[in-house]
Amino acid sequence: MKTTSAFRLSGLWRRKAKPFRLTPTEKISAVLLVFLSIFMLAPLVYIFNNALKPYQELFNYPPTLWVRSPSLQNFIELWAITKNSAIPMSRYIFNSVFVAVATVVLVTGVSAMCAYPISKHKFPGHKIVFGSILVTLLFAPETVAIPRYLVVSNLGVMDTYFGHLLPMVAVPVGVFLMKQFIDQLPDELLDAAKIDGAREFTIFLKVVIPICMPAVATISIIAFQDAWGNTETSALFMQDETMKTFPFFISTLTSNMANNVARQGAAAAAALFMFLPNLIIFLLFQSKVITTMAHSGIK
Amino acid sequence: MGCIILNHVEKRYGKDKQSAVQDFNLEIKDGEFLVMVGPSGCGKSTTLRMIAGLENISSGEIYIGDRLVNHLPSKDRDIAMVFQNYALYPNMNVYENIAFGLRMRKLPKHEIDMAVKKAARTLEIENFLERKPRQLSGGQRQRVALGRAIVRNPSVFLMDEPLSNLDAKLRVQMRTEIIKLHKQLGVTTVYVTHDQVEAMTMGDRIVVMKDGIVQQVDTPKRIYSSPKNMFVAGFMGAPPINLVEGKLLETSRGTLEFHTRKFSLAIPENQSRVLIDKRKVNRNVMLGIRSEHVHLDPAMQEAHPHSQVPGIHKLSEFMGADLYLYAEIGASNLMTARSGIELGSQENEKVILTLDMRKALFFDLESGDNLLHNDERVEG
Repeated sequence: MKTTSAFRLSGLWRRKAKPFRLTPTEKISAVLLVFLSIFMLAPLVYIFNNALKPYQELFNYPPTLWVRSPSLQNFIELWAITKNSAIPMSRYIFNSVFVAVATVVLVTGVSAMCAYPISKHKFPGHKIVFGSILVTLLFAPETVAIPRYLVVSNLGVMDTYFGHLLPMVAVPVGVFLMKQFIDQLPDELLDAAKIDGAREFTIFLKVVIPICMPAVATISIIAFQDAWGNTETSALFMQDETMKTFPFFISTLTSNMANNVARQGAAAAAALFMFLPNLIIFLLFQSKVITTMAHSGIK
Repeated sequence: MGCIILNHVEKRYGKDKQSAVQDFNLEIKDGEFLVMVGPSGCGKSTTLRMIAGLENISSGEIYIGDRLVNHLPSKDRDIAMVFQNYALYPNMNVYENIAFGLRMRKLPKHEIDMAVKKAARTLEIENFLERKPRQLSGGQRQRVALGRAIVRNPSVFLMDEPLSNLDAKLRVQMRTEIIKLHKQLGVTTVYVTHDQVEAMTMGDRIVVMKDGIVQQVDTPKRIYSSPKNMFVAGFMGAPPINLVEGKLLETSRGTLEFHTRKFSLAIPENQSRVLIDKRKVNRNVMLGIRSEHVHLDPAMQEAHPHSQVPGIHKLSEFMGADLYLYAEIGASNLMTARSGIELGSQENEKVILTLDMRKALFFDLESGDNLLHNDERVEG
């Protein structure tokens, strides 16, 4: 604490003493970063504005970045699409939210429970297990679609939420991130907990997971983005329309009518709707991601 | 009962590899403060971890109290351990850190609260109970680690180099506090360190280890004055003991003389007798003498005309109360003298060192054994 505050103070002092003095390299990189961030931000700004543009503005030529007369017309239209169908929009949204949240919980849990023994228990063959997990990173999702279909159909979980969740649970990147993080935990910490009387699962739950929150947050973001935007499970494993997710529904809206004028406003609103949760989750967890707690408090 | 018995304890890693700990036999008495010391990789921490149950025993038996604990998990051994890097749970505050062990034992809340506050009072950390470990200084963290150990009231404390991460001043302070705590609680303590000063000042008894083998188990005083072999003599004591190789020759008076090409030293009668009994006459041996038994005082020179070594003043170190003089007494062979007096010589001048031969030790060149060591007086 003392050192950080002292460090901050010295930083303040330096800033006061030399206002806005940057080295040439810092200047160049600052300019580059500003350009890069504009480049990255532009599509996001465009998504926001498009969603609020009324029809006549959406088809303006040349297209404009900023909305002139914002309206919620697109959202109303999006909601009205399912007015006459048997399955309401809210069903797709519920499916999506449920699948995304369950995926996040399962993926972080499974990744951590898989990484902990590989990292700290060094059982015979742990290197082979970890190696084979890493090898699975090499396979593109398309290549495993057929075996995945066979697994899901043979397990008899088609048209159930398990069909959405099972293919998403094993995330090699999650295991890898988690293992790298747990590797940093000193063994003494686990020894201390053992001597204190904690069982293996208590150590995992009360010591390892809380310390690995940054990794958990990172994996949560990855898992949520994957699950929230995923149309594959709905397309392959769900014949029942009531089990399909929101992104799949949206993809049916836009893909069939790529050159069509109809429903373009609804599609713009849906794009914003799809993007917002990702942004919120990222904002929620990004501070955790940056925090590196493992070393503070131990050495 | 907090006594610990180690019976032929061995630790081997892999099948054919050398043992990390070989045939360790020791009885640690209830309430004793035992220090294990040795260079890194000597097996002292492994031994401690075997007592703690964090490491399996390859063969042998360990008893804590009257229970055989070979296959008992750590949590059932009634021990507490303090680690070098404190191993505080960074996600919990000080209170939770200390209370964790009690919570795991499912004690009622008010008992936990009382025990934690009592431990905090003993260690004077009451004011930091709400803080997280990262907000504490090194010394405070070590207190919390100690608090976590004492709160459970175990029958044995195990400490694995607990002061190594502290700065020199704090280390001395915490050293006395740990001794005080031990006197206050009277709990059997096994303390591992590589610092021989800690070993000498803290231990009721010291175990000196090297390459997984116990070299000597004895009180600090006897370890220092009557080391069992050259390794123990060299490891304990700062500055290190002076070692000179030479030949033992018989004199006309029936006593022995330590002879090198540059000087001869008369060996007192009782030491001579032991060396003659051990058939070391006309053999080469290693003479060991501590720096405080090497005198620069002219009065000593007159009193002991046959225990003098001529040398050249090479370097002196001012240590406050003492002064170390390093004198060259042969080709690249330095002898250290510890003196409380002003030096009469300058660098590269000749000096005469007078050795107190009654305190001299003689070691076998091959085995390194102390030839004057009396095994019967060794305990444990």
